[in-house]
Amino acid sequence: MDITFLFFLSSGLFLGWSLGANDASNIFGTAVGTKMVSFRTAAVISSIFIIIGAVYAGSGTSQTLGHLGSINTLAGAFMAALAAAITIFWMVELSMPISTSQAIVGAIIGWNFFAGKPTDITILTQIVGTWVICPILSGIIAIFLYYLIRLIIRKSHTHLLRQDTYTRIGLIIAGAFGAYALGANNIANVMGVFVPSSPLKDVNFGWGITLNGTQVLFLIGSIAISIGVATYSQKVMNTVGNSIMKMSPLMAWVVVVAQSLVLFLFASQNLKHFLLSHNLPSLPLVPVSSSQAVIGAVMGIGLARGGKNLHWDLIGKIAIGWIATPIIAAGLCYISLFFLQNVFGQVVFLP
Amino acid sequence: MFHLNLSLFSKTKSLENKIDFFHDRLLDAAMTFKRAVRVFLDEGHSDNYKKLSKQIKQIEHDADNLRREIESSLYTHNLIPDLRADVLHLVENLDKVINKFDEVTYMFHIEKPEIDTSYHLRINELCDLSAECAENMAKASRAFFRDLSSVRDYSQKVYFIEHESDVSADNLRKAIFDSELPLANKLQLSNFINEIADIADIAEDFIDELLIFTIKRDI
Repeated sequence: MDITFLFFLSSGLFLGWSLGANDASNIFGTAVGTKMVSFRTAAVISSIFIIIGAVYAGSGTSQTLGHLGSINTLAGAFMAALAAAITIFWMVELSMPISTSQAIVGAIIGWNFFAGKPTDITILTQIVGTWVICPILSGIIAIFLYYLIRLIIRKSHTHLLRQDTYTRIGLIIAGAFGAYALGANNIANVMGVFVPSSPLKDVNFGWGITLNGTQVLFLIGSIAISIGVATYSQKVMNTVGNSIMKMSPLMAWVVVVAQSLVLFLFASQNLKHFLLSHNLPSLPLVPVSSSQAVIGAVMGIGLARGGKNLHWDLIGKIAIGWIATPIIAAGLCYISLFFLQNVFGQVVFLP
Repeated sequence: MFHLNLSLFSKTKSLENKIDFFHDRLLDAAMTFKRAVRVFLDEGHSDNYKKLSKQIKQIEHDADNLRREIESSLYTHNLIPDLRADVLHLVENLDKVINKFDEVTYMFHIEKPEIDTSYHLRINELCDLSAECAENMAKASRAFFRDLSSVRDYSQKVYFIEHESDVSADNLRKAIFDSELPLANKLQLSNFINEIADIADIAEDFIDELLIFTIKRDI
């Protein structure tokens, strides 16, 4: 692995770090904020399962991004990831529900424009459609889970303390599943643009474990996400748990499961093959926003509880994000590529 | 992890038992109080009464110990972090009712009031209503932990019985002040009636809070 590759990969690793710092809070935020699960437990479980999800099941969503635009030089990939990272930083400053997926898609389109490559409108429509469906689907699943849990609790007459123990175990299992789904779905945002130009080869780790070049790339990206979880997510988790979405641990469980299912549905190749082999309609494998899935789930529960205290302005912010994030990222990527090519003399695309 | 979960379940089970025992103590206190006042009215400051008075003191002492253990367990093992403050508040208010039973029984023991037989029936009735209020409060509180849908049923009973006890206490006070008893006796008996009726009032206040906590606990 030469130093040039590591330098160009740094923007992707930074993007991974920020994804870990922000999105782990969607999985364990309330559990840690309400002290149901310790941060150390949350960080260890998140890190392990994000890595497993990314390495084992991350290729599906990466292929979709690859179809949108195959960035064929390392310098180009570096700038796309950096443009996405800077866009996310701006959106966070504006308190918008950020989406790494939308930023990276915008950056890829910016590269397509700069390189004069066509953007596959069918794939783009599919991706944008998925962004809209994601919070809606998450909300529907959350409503279903909410009624199911309420029925179980009302019928089972479980003691409050016993219920507390079950909720703790449930939050840990749901968190592990959520981390797996996040790794599988979102690794494409972090490392997807580097796949076509990556020089990484297959690595044999012994014990019959061999990872191909793309999986090694995903392993490196998911380690960056895990470092983000370990170093910076505690602050975000405490904010999520205590202020933005104050909810009971049981509601947090519903939200985490709904969000994780959505991320899993849009990342699982096995599920897609299963549905296709049974002539059922399948979902496209697209990286989606875990933050927007969480907001969808919270809104779903809010509606199920009578529609009071709902923050409708969040829906508006999400809709603005669908449009603004990719446009800003595309514009930023286009301008940055121009400078990288003409000022720094880097090859940012191959004809 | 498996060991951790098993130990968490055993701690939970032990605390569940303590909370159940605590509610049992409240029911014991209510029933013993009814018997103690009956014995006092029938036999005066007899050995039987002293025995029952001691029994309530012991119940109050046991309840205090259980309350401390429950409070300490909830914090030590970091259980129900979101509802812990509510549960501690409930347990402390339940303990206040047990203390009140002990306080009123001890007042009879210290002041040894002379009560005309014409008032016995109505005092017994007031004691029964106050004790019944406390019993339903204990049932509502127990339901808060296991069966939320029943909380409302028991709460409604508490509200109804508390109103009955108010009416009963007012009638009794009126009858006492309309009588030819010396003013000192009237004031002493009125004070006893206030103290007995207070038990139902505390139960009513407890239920007001419990219903709020129930809304918070319901998903």
